[in-house]
Amino acid sequence: MVKVTREVVERSGINVDELLELLVKNAAAELTTYYYYTILRANLIGLKGEGVKEIAEVARIEDRNHFEALVPRIYELGGKLPGDMKRFHDLSACPPARLPENPSAEEILKVLVEAERCAVRGYTQICNMTFGKDHRTYDLALAILNEEIEHESWFSEFLGEGPSGHLMRRGETSPFVSKFLK
Amino acid sequence: MRCFTAKELKEYCGKNGKPVYIAYKGKVYDVNGSFLWKNGKHQALHSAGEDLTESLKDAPHGEALIKRYPVVGCLKKK
Repeated sequence: MVKVTREVVERSGINVDELLELLVKNAAAELTTYYYYTILRANLIGLKGEGVKEIAEVARIEDRNHFEALVPRIYELGGKLPGDMKRFHDLSACPPARLPENPSAEEILKVLVEAERCAVRGYTQICNMTFGKDHRTYDLALAILNEEIEHESWFSEFLGEGPSGHLMRRGETSPFVSKFLK
Repeated sequence: MRCFTAKELKEYCGKNGKPVYIAYKGKVYDVNGSFLWKNGKHQALHSAGEDLTESLKDAPHGEALIKRYPVVGCLKKK
């Protein structure tokens, strides 16, 4: 734990233990999503799967990066990851993104978009809690939120729900979160 | 359909084998089936067995997510 780092957040009025619980739950969501997306990605086959697989892969790797970015902040604030990985899985902030019974590209997309929507809500909550109070966690949560919103927008567009506003994906993975991974 | 007092609703907090109920706008919902209400807590901030009508105003989601779940009763006004 970093003493003054935690103290200034406490003094801003945030319940740090509650914030830590949320950060750990969202870290669990990221790591489990990385795992489940590996299965979903593997099942995006055939002509319809081909069009989605690359963007699903980007989301998968970025969600893993979100886990990596969250861990240091959890420990800075005096928290920790559970010692038991099964317990970590079960306290995830979002339901497991399991392979649907009918693993068509469309059904997989529905699972993907719901997973991203859960993440958008989760990081919005953390941003709301920390805005103007815990600047570092806010910066981190906002960076992750930006990427989760992009994920939702891609999958939503693939489902025909309307334009995502994104014309092309260029450059490095994790354009917003990468600064926390250095 | 059963009507719960606030005190009765508190028992349905997911502990001691009790199901997980929450109240919203006068109705009581069974959220036992929700992954996000496991063990009677939601996102570290909310406990089951409570009226969450006011809390929803600050939530990052709307009432549609609550209304997915079955109504099992009503909440008596104080």
